[in-house]
Amino acid sequence: MARTTDKAALDNWYVLGALGDFPTHTVKGARLLGADLIVRRAGVQFQVSDEVGAKLPVEQRYGHLWTTLGAPTRPIFAMPEWDEPDRRPVYCGAVRVRASGLRVVENFLDLAHFPYVHTDILGTESKPEVARYQVEHRADVDEVWATKCEFFQPKAAASADGGQMSQYMYRVVANPFLVMLYKTPPTAPNRWDVIALFVQPVEEDLSIAHPFMLVIDETSSDAELIAFQQMIFLQDRIVLENQRPRLLPLQPGRETPTRGDLSSVIYRRWLKEKNIRFGVEEPVRLAHA
Amino acid sequence: MKSMTDENQTWHPVALGVDVPAGVTRAVILNGTEIVLWRGADGQIRAWDDRCPHRGMRLSYGFVRGNSLNCLYHGWEYEGSSRCIRIPAHPDLEVPKTIKATAHAVHETGGLVWMNRSGTAASDPPAIAEGVPLISTAIDRPIGALRDLFRATSMHPAVIREDILDGLSLLLAMHPVSERKSMLHALTIGGSDAPADRKRYALAVRQLRQQAETMAEAA
Repeated sequence: MARTTDKAALDNWYVLGALGDFPTHTVKGARLLGADLIVRRAGVQFQVSDEVGAKLPVEQRYGHLWTTLGAPTRPIFAMPEWDEPDRRPVYCGAVRVRASGLRVVENFLDLAHFPYVHTDILGTESKPEVARYQVEHRADVDEVWATKCEFFQPKAAASADGGQMSQYMYRVVANPFLVMLYKTPPTAPNRWDVIALFVQPVEEDLSIAHPFMLVIDETSSDAELIAFQQMIFLQDRIVLENQRPRLLPLQPGRETPTRGDLSSVIYRRWLKEKNIRFGVEEPVRLAHA
Repeated sequence: MKSMTDENQTWHPVALGVDVPAGVTRAVILNGTEIVLWRGADGQIRAWDDRCPHRGMRLSYGFVRGNSLNCLYHGWEYEGSSRCIRIPAHPDLEVPKTIKATAHAVHETGGLVWMNRSGTAASDPPAIAEGVPLISTAIDRPIGALRDLFRATSMHPAVIREDILDGLSLLLAMHPVSERKSMLHALTIGGSDAPADRKRYALAVRQLRQQAETMAEAA
């Protein structure tokens, strides 16, 4: 597949990896939205070029390398927690997923799967209820926020000793492939842990997820935190690679949302308004429309 | 989307009954469509589209409890009739009757699981002798080629022969996986089901497969 022509997808900033994923004085290939890129690193300087050798805009932000193939109308989103001195950045690696990046983000917004996909870790079958929560599109920043989310979790994080009622907030920033969550940590109940998922859409049905955390946790080692996050993400991958179709359907009647899927409903509505096509299923004829 | 073809009107043998014991799921592909077979505690077998209507998760990854199939993703529970009867995220919700998995006609006879995607299965699957199940094996050849290769003697398009082939009393049936690939289901009729004999038969079927694929390469 060649580079997409989908302007709604092109005009965004994307992550190609954590800065540490690119050793100094290296040249490395990368792929984004169907385009082959080359990343060159010399010391702290990064250069990204495309198939015809044209230089692309580059930013180093939040410990990651960012680029764009289009003309973003907004700067890279604000993450004020990055500047809080007692937070520790944890880079959890890159995970390839054979699925649309939009499906990956939608799954990240989902609470109801915790008891079944992350059994006895982020949820338990005896407490599967999703209480009402709120979702809104914040037009001024063009972000989707889900707030007042609550879920019972037997082991909410690497540092958890027992079960807790976790509070969550979710945030999809202006680029629909970038999502973050805020979650009450077992170690500091009055603050929020930050977990971000930067999705690098490679092909319409192939993504690289870059999970990243800004934690308040003085007890767990980086290795423990990474192992926990990777375990969770690999459980998600089993689902993500087995959803049919692999691309996200936006057509009414193709899938069946219920009350707890409010995040998904608002997210999909927002995607439609953006008229994004990369990773979206073409409309099909429905058997029982 | 594929239109209703003759192939959809036909009964297809998609698995050996013994390969779908109670309490498990089995994923098969019929003409490019992913299907989940599963058997509840009541012994009944079901053939549904391998897709949860909620978020498209393959139901073959789900788990059978009693006479229900539960989706792995969010635990939505489907009873044998294919209706969703429970959405765990909302314990008090009365699930709308319209939420159902897509079920197909299914029938078990002669040691084989037969399914029909026409929606209304007017006729029954062909009456064949009860066989001792041997093995199901994928072959990288289309069904038509296999019928020629194995010198088909049966009139039914899904059954190749129910007689002696190369000195073995075999029943060979098959279903199309794609335009290039088939699944062969082998049983023996009247043959012994002693382990040593079954092994000999299974080996013979593997040789048939090898023969079919080698001839394909030569052609």
